[in-house]
Amino acid sequence: MSEQSKDVCDPDSAPQASNSEVHISPGVPGGPSQPASQAATLAAPESPPLGPIEAPLASPPPQAPSEEGDPKALQQAAEEGRAHQAPAAQPGPAPPAPAQLVQKAHELMWYVLVKDQKRMIIWFPDMVKDVIGSYKKWCRSILRRTSLILARVFGLHLRLTSLHTMEFSLVKALEPEELDRVALSNRMPMTGLLLMILSLIYVKGRGARESAVWNVLRILGLRPWKKHSTFGDVRKLITEEFVQQNYLKYQRVPHVEPPEYEFFWGSRASREITKMQIMEFLARVFKKDPQAWPSRYREALEEARALREADPTAHCPRSSVSED
Amino acid sequence: QGGARRAGIMTDVHRRFLQLLMTHGVLEERGVRRLQKHCYRVHGRTAAVEELEDFINNINSVLESLYIEIKKGATEDDGRPVYALVNLATTPVSKMASDFAENELDLFRKALELIIDSETGFASSTNILNLVDQLKGKKMRKKEAEQVLQKFVQNKWLIEKEGEFTLHSRAILEMEQYIRETYPDAVKTCNICHGLLIQGQSCETCGIRMHLPCVAKYFRSAPEPRCPHCNDYWPHEIPEVFNPDKEREAGTSKANKKPSRSRQH
Repeated sequence: MSEQSKDVCDPDSAPQASNSEVHISPGVPGGPSQPASQAATLAAPESPPLGPIEAPLASPPPQAPSEEGDPKALQQAAEEGRAHQAPAAQPGPAPPAPAQLVQKAHELMWYVLVKDQKRMIIWFPDMVKDVIGSYKKWCRSILRRTSLILARVFGLHLRLTSLHTMEFSLVKALEPEELDRVALSNRMPMTGLLLMILSLIYVKGRGARESAVWNVLRILGLRPWKKHSTFGDVRKLITEEFVQQNYLKYQRVPHVEPPEYEFFWGSRASREITKMQIMEFLARVFKKDPQAWPSRYREALEEARALREADPTAHCPRSSVSED
Repeated sequence: QGGARRAGIMTDVHRRFLQLLMTHGVLEERGVRRLQKHCYRVHGRTAAVEELEDFINNINSVLESLYIEIKKGATEDDGRPVYALVNLATTPVSKMASDFAENELDLFRKALELIIDSETGFASSTNILNLVDQLKGKKMRKKEAEQVLQKFVQNKWLIEKEGEFTLHSRAILEMEQYIRETYPDAVKTCNICHGLLIQGQSCETCGIRMHLPCVAKYFRSAPEPRCPHCNDYWPHEIPEVFNPDKEREAGTSKANKKPSRSRQH
């Protein structure tokens, strides 16, 4: 299997990445901080550049809530900005009415959905700044309710994918984990382009040099210097946008002069796309049986089996699904 | 099954539908039907696909307590039905907030105001760009502003037609509430459907307005179109009612596709 994917998705040894819903220790009791910023009025911070992200594989359905990771780190983030905190002498303000917490949870739910729709990073400090605001103390219960709603209504898990960067993501929690390629036909061009590159990397078993990628894209009539009617600036798309969205990694090949670059699977691709999907894609594109790539197909089967075993509650699509 | 309006009945079919609708942002009815069928198929449901309206009402009854809903609207120029998942809580341009910088959002607001105040529902590029100095946040040059406007078009917030801008049906769907509450005096509504009106036709005598698709439906077989309010002769060309089946035929034969169509969302 491509070594790079293995590096990225290292599920069990990542101590911080959480499998279940996230819970953050409540803030230190004290006066409320700066006034609440309502759900994204004018705020539009650019997401900061992120380091490499440990990403768990598709995980089991939500279990009972549990303390996860290093509560201190997140608590600190929540307190960000409260530089000179008076020692906790005064009792905190009365807890808000439950209805207000519920409303906050709904705002947070929408916020997360929109961020995900735009394929933007869901950053915890942003969540606090843009939505939770002065309800920081009740962040935990707000987050819990939001996760619950997202799971029940949308079939999505709000997961802390990296404690280090405090990044959340929305992971599909429905079986089967299809790419919904038919349904996403509007976005098919993007998905198709991405899948081409990912499958090239997969088949090679290691990083794909930029020159190799362009050889493949030439088949689709795409050139680095030509603007395309659907994709626009293709080079920018694959070296910047897909990289920003963590679908690809674009790195300099070491010790090579003149400088060359190569592509690897990004953490998000490893999370969202299975090897079996790649095999199916290849089969469709080349009109061959997936077993025409025997070793890759074997790996895809292995991965599929491992995923099924990791999720013992997985059921066939026909069975009815739990509701309320 | 069949349209029971019991809150809390969500199956994976509905969840997947919601996920994908959210991913698309806004979707034409044709696409929505395909989406619905896809969701049934994926989950192996061989049961008959529920009537779309009931299907959506069913989901909306669950979404009600979350203050979101799958809203149905229509494109203002040719009446194609479109759907989007919208937030009913009034949030000023909040959906866009994560995409755009402060000065860009303000540019949108300025354009929005011009569009709402205009007679035709269109604001000229020149007029919008002239307001660039009044923007909040970082100073923006006109050249930059032109590109930002194009970004709005690409993200389906605005439509451009011959150098003028109006609201995309998506923006109308998502921001109707906000617009009504923010510009209660300037806002125009359709005399027939009472929905927010940006583009439309107006009676030259009494001033009432109607959406183009509403005009088409109202005057469909009328030999002599007359204003529903003051009964004066209706002085405009009556457009044709949107017919999805006719669309499909026209698509395959590719007969005389009007050039302006290609720029409409």
